[in-house]
Amino acid sequence: MRFLKTTALMAASMLSIAITTPTEARPVSYPGGWTAMVMNNGDYNSAHIHYSPSAKYSIGYRFEHRRDSDAELHLGQLNYLVKRRNTRESQANIYLKTAIGVADDHGDQNAAGSIGFATDWETRRYFTSYENRYLSAGPIENGFTQSARVGIAPYVADYGSLHTWLMLEVSHEPKAEDKLEITPLVRFFKGPNLAEFGVSTDGDVTFNFIKRF
Amino acid sequence: MKKTLQTLLFTVTLTLSAGAMASQSVTVHVNGLVCDFCATAIEKVFGKQDAVEGVQVDLNEKIVSIDIKDDHQMSDEEITKLVMDSGYNVESIERVERQE
Repeated sequence: MRFLKTTALMAASMLSIAITTPTEARPVSYPGGWTAMVMNNGDYNSAHIHYSPSAKYSIGYRFEHRRDSDAELHLGQLNYLVKRRNTRESQANIYLKTAIGVADDHGDQNAAGSIGFATDWETRRYFTSYENRYLSAGPIENGFTQSARVGIAPYVADYGSLHTWLMLEVSHEPKAEDKLEITPLVRFFKGPNLAEFGVSTDGDVTFNFIKRF
Repeated sequence: MKKTLQTLLFTVTLTLSAGAMASQSVTVHVNGLVCDFCATAIEKVFGKQDAVEGVQVDLNEKIVSIDIKDDHQMSDEEITKLVMDSGYNVESIERVERQE
């Protein structure tokens, strides 16, 4: 009974801290590796390409089109792997993400920047992650967002085969009308390609695609 | 005549020893291999090495199998460093000699 109570409390805590920050799978790649990703949801469409000189950090360019204001962000982004813990069955990471650039609101340009951290833990069967971001973009947007995910793979496939994940993302944007948004997602993963589809409780469609090369 | 025979014998010995040279297959048990991105990272990093003929990753067994070219060597330290540079950790390394 006590175990059930503790488990329920832990699950409730995870959901309560859950946050519409994109959950980028592995924001740092292998030495010499490039990653391209596009992310689309109810709040924005974005494209991000980064290069990893080492497995500790990546540098790249991020473009973001904000749906509500129709403004654009052009950011240089640095992702830094603060800590990784590898075990035989799992991997856990903590990342720091910073970006600086320009916010363009129909020709009106302002300095923009963001900072946040991301953490994840996964095995070949289970996945959890949390990510937050504070974005400062002049008159366009200033605010904190956060998101968390849990996922399970219904089957475990070999390397190079099609992997499928069922995930649940909870996003929290304190300044938004709908502060909390829940998005069930399905993730398909095969070799260097990863795609995600989801529809939130507000009817917003999420589509993400990541390619490593 | 004697000198010619000696030279011939030396050349034949050299050729035979080169033909019988052993190459190596290395099996590396790696921690942190949980997805295809991890496997791709290991393949790309080892694939760039001159000494490596081929590399295969088994996510189920958490094993990286490396075939070393006949005339090359890779020490355990070099392999461990490459795995760590890729973002993972070595648990153990096993070597198997292959007679060509």
